[in-house]
Parts: sequence; structure tokens; C-alpha cells
Amino acid sequence: MTLVLSDGKVIGLNEDGFMNRPGEWDRIVAAALAKDQEGIESLSQEHWAVIEFIRAYYLDHGQAPMVRNLCQSTRSTLRKIYELFPSGPAKGACKLAGLPKPDGCV
Amino acid sequence: MPEIPMRKRTWAERLEDLPPRNFKAAIQTLADIIDTPSADGLESCVRCGLCAESCHYFLDDRDLRSVPAYKLNLIIRIFRRQIAGAGRPRRGAPGLSAAAIREWADALYGRCTLCGRCMVNCTMGIRIPSIIRKGRAVLASLGLVPDGLDSTLATARETGNNMGITREDWMETAAWLEEDLRTETSDLRIRMPMDAAGADFLYAVNPREPKFYPLTLTAAAKLFHAAGRSWTLSSHAFDVTNYAYFVGDDALAARFASRLREAMDALNIKTLVLSECGHGFASNRWEAASWLAEKLDREVKSVLEIVAEDLRAGRIRLDPDRNPKTVTLHDPCQLVRMGGIIEEQREILRHCVRRFVEMTPNRKDNYCCGGGGGQLSMSEFAARRKSAGRIKAAQIARTEAQVVASPCHNCLDQLADINKHYRLGVEIKSVLELAAEALLPPQG
Repeated sequence: MTLVLSDGKVIGLNEDGFMNRPGEWDRIVAAALAKDQEGIESLSQEHWAVIEFIRAYYLDHGQAPMVRNLCQSTRSTLRKIYELFPSGPAKGACKLAGLPKPDGCV
Repeated sequence: MPEIPMRKRTWAERLEDLPPRNFKAAIQTLADIIDTPSADGLESCVRCGLCAESCHYFLDDRDLRSVPAYKLNLIIRIFRRQIAGAGRPRRGAPGLSAAAIREWADALYGRCTLCGRCMVNCTMGIRIPSIIRKGRAVLASLGLVPDGLDSTLATARETGNNMGITREDWMETAAWLEEDLRTETSDLRIRMPMDAAGADFLYAVNPREPKFYPLTLTAAAKLFHAAGRSWTLSSHAFDVTNYAYFVGDDALAARFASRLREAMDALNIKTLVLSECGHGFASNRWEAASWLAEKLDREVKSVLEIVAEDLRAGRIRLDPDRNPKTVTLHDPCQLVRMGGIIEEQREILRHCVRRFVEMTPNRKDNYCCGGGGGQLSMSEFAARRKSAGRIKAAQIARTEAQVVASPCHNCLDQLADINKHYRLGVEIKSVLELAAEALLPPQG
């Protein structure tokens, strides 16, 4: 699958819609993924706080954070995270933060 | 910005670029792992074709390659020509070619969820999923495991669980959830007990729960607490899954299964209780005994059995009015058809939701959600997985239910995917979540 940005740039996605090359990620890609994969027209401040935390955590640790870290660091409740990203922390938030698909039953 | 490592050669690249040699070693691997029941199966398929209509892949795409007997025949062809008889290949019999290997990869990994529906519909009673797993093991011996599945296996091997959760993260999450539970219930005695030696049972969870979806973990804690159960988590081993089951690697599966057993021994616990996980039940309850060459001298139960026991004994009370929406149930293949846990989830749902409707077919005849057999981890075949999921989507739509419950985290994720893909507009919930939602305070 591919994601075509407004400037014509093409981003490679796997069949689950996760980025093939996480290094290509930037905020423009995140916004395009949100629209294309999650049906979110415009990302709010709250969305960005979660996405940016996940991105930074991934660059430091090489994997997605625990949802506990996510809630505590962004001062969010679980309910709020699930509301913001209807496909959940993995297939929603981590995908928009440009992470490869997490291992396990997701 | 730090470097993000590039992946090694992808599955597609590895398949494309198979070294041009004879695959004798792969045939030997197959000969080594084919046991008597599998050999019987490989000798007895009469190609009646009844299995075709039993497979959700075939019902979806009507492609000959999706017929279970066709998939089985890929293995039969090599087995009869190269292995059966005197154990010597027939003279001039063609071996495995690169093209054949690619066909195996496409069919055995890409067109099967090991759901076993073909097996229960097989006139000859062939244990087809078990043979498919052996075919997958042959591909694994050639380094041909789809990338996501391979990576999940490596993570489980290296870190002790399939999501790479550190011991510290696991313990901190349990402590965080305990604090939340106490705030939510105003009950200071409710716990997420860790390493409680001598407890009645060890509770093992799907890593997805602490990592992303902890509400099922707190649901279990609420139900156990209300029933006055003595239970514990282990800080050393908590992963109920066993992805080695999906690639037919029995030695690795034994290693994974032994982790929970070692944690039980360390805490002097005789009963293992498994969270809502289909293949985790099939592997820990049924397969582990043979992988570990162990006597069945300890109890392994599904959490559904525990909750159903507590309901029958009156230790917990549930109020169905707390879940007023119409609920249907998806039967996880590995728990129900392959695992034998069939009525407990129904008993629980009838107690905790106002209106429960069955989908058709159900129980051992239920269709796979499409996410089994490790499919969720194989992005290579995600489009096919979602397409074949339309059989389940249609079943759900026919019930007109607003909520789909299922006691398996893997199924829950696939159900969420098809909910989105087919715009079903339903809520997807675990059975424990619905039960905990309906939990009433103890009487008196």
C-alpha cells in the first residue's frame, strides 16, 4: 500500500497501513496517515501530545511505550486515549507516530 | 535524529531469491517431523472436497488454492513421492522446487488460520491444522517465516513475552492498575497481587493487556476479588501466548510453555489460569503436556471456567441491566473447537447482559474471525485476512447485535479490524469486561 502526500511524495505502507520506512516520518505524514487510515480529518493538540510522546519513546527505546507511560506522560486517562484513537493505541496511535507494526496479537 | 535500523531482507525478497539448490534438507525435515497420525492423514485424503465449503478463505475467494484438501495436497505430493513407502524417494520423483516452496508459503501461511473447521468436516477425520503446522515448520527450517510472525517469535524468545515488556514495566503497570482499581472501587483491599507464593492459582495474561488494553486485566482482578479468590501474577512469567505453535516449532513451544510452569513451581502453585486467549488455551492446556513430555499433573483452566464456577457457587452476582445492549458471541476456534471451552462463556453472558443472541453457525461449527493461526502478525497477508473476514462480518451483521463479545484478545483485534473494514458499527468487548461491568457488590 502507499500513501500519497499533497506534494506528490509517496510513502510506502505495509498491508496493515504501517510505515515501511519509519525514518520517513514527519508531522505531514502523521496528518496524512490520520486522514487516510483513521478517518481523523484534523489532529488536535491532544492527538499530537500522544503521537509525539510515542515517537520520542520509540526513538529512545526502539519500541512502543506501555499504555501506562502514555497515560501518565500525557496526563490522559485510558478512556481518553481510546477515544482519541478509535483503532486503539497500537493500530491507531502507534501507526500515526510512524512506528512499525508492534509484535504480538495486534 | 537517531538512526532507525532498516529491516533485514523481507519475506517477499527471501521468497523471490531462494538459493537455486535442491531442497533435500527441507524434505528430510518433513520426514523427521511427520508423526504417525500425520502420516495416516497424508495417506487417507480421498479428495471428497467437503472441506472446501468449511473454509472461510474458500468461501470468500472461491479460489482452488484455498481448498483445505488442495493445501494438504501440496504436502501429500512431497510426502508420497519422497518419504512414504520404504522411506526412499520413488525413482525420478520430482522433489521440492523453488516454485513449490513459494506455493507452500502462499497456501500454508497465507491461506490458513489453523482454525480446524476443515478438520471437523473431514470425512476421514484428518487433523489438517496439525499437518499444516508441520508444513509451516518446513518453511521455517528454510528461514521462511513471514516477517511479523518471525519478529514476534524473536521477541518472545529474547524477552520472555511476545511484546518485549520488561519485568520492571510489567510490575509498574500492575501497581498502577492496582492504584486505579482502588480509586475506582473505593475498596482498599482490592489487589493486583504479584508473586504471592502459595496462592490458589497463577493468572497468565496476553501481553496485549498490560501493553495496550489493561481494562481486561482490571476486570479479572475485580471478579477474582469479589469472589474472594486467592490468586497471583508472576513478575517472571506472565505471557499466555505461544507463537511457536503457529510455526510448528515444538522445541521452542516447549521452552515457552515451560516458563509459566517454572513460575508456578517457584511460587508453589498447582493451578494455572489463562486469560482470554484462544491459542494460549489450546497450547497451555492441551499441547504443552506433549511438548514437555509431562504428566497432566497440574490443573490448567480458562478464566471463563473460574468465573462460571463463581457464578454457580453464588460467590459473585451479576446484574444484566448494566449491559442493556444486545450482545452476540464470537467463538474463538482455538478455545472452542480445538479447546473444548464451549458453554462457560455463554453461561457468563446470560448472567451479565440483558439480551444475548447467538450467531449462526456457532460453537464448534463457528467460522474463524480470520485472525487466527498468527494471521494478525502477517501483514503480508493482511488484505486477504480482511477479505476472508467478510464471512464473520456477515454472521455478525445477521444477528443485528450492537456488541460482539469474544474471549480471545487475538479475535478481539481482528473483530475490531473487520468492524472498521466492513463498517459494522458494533462495539467489540471481551467477556470479562462485560462481566466486570455487571458485577454487584457482595451481599450482606
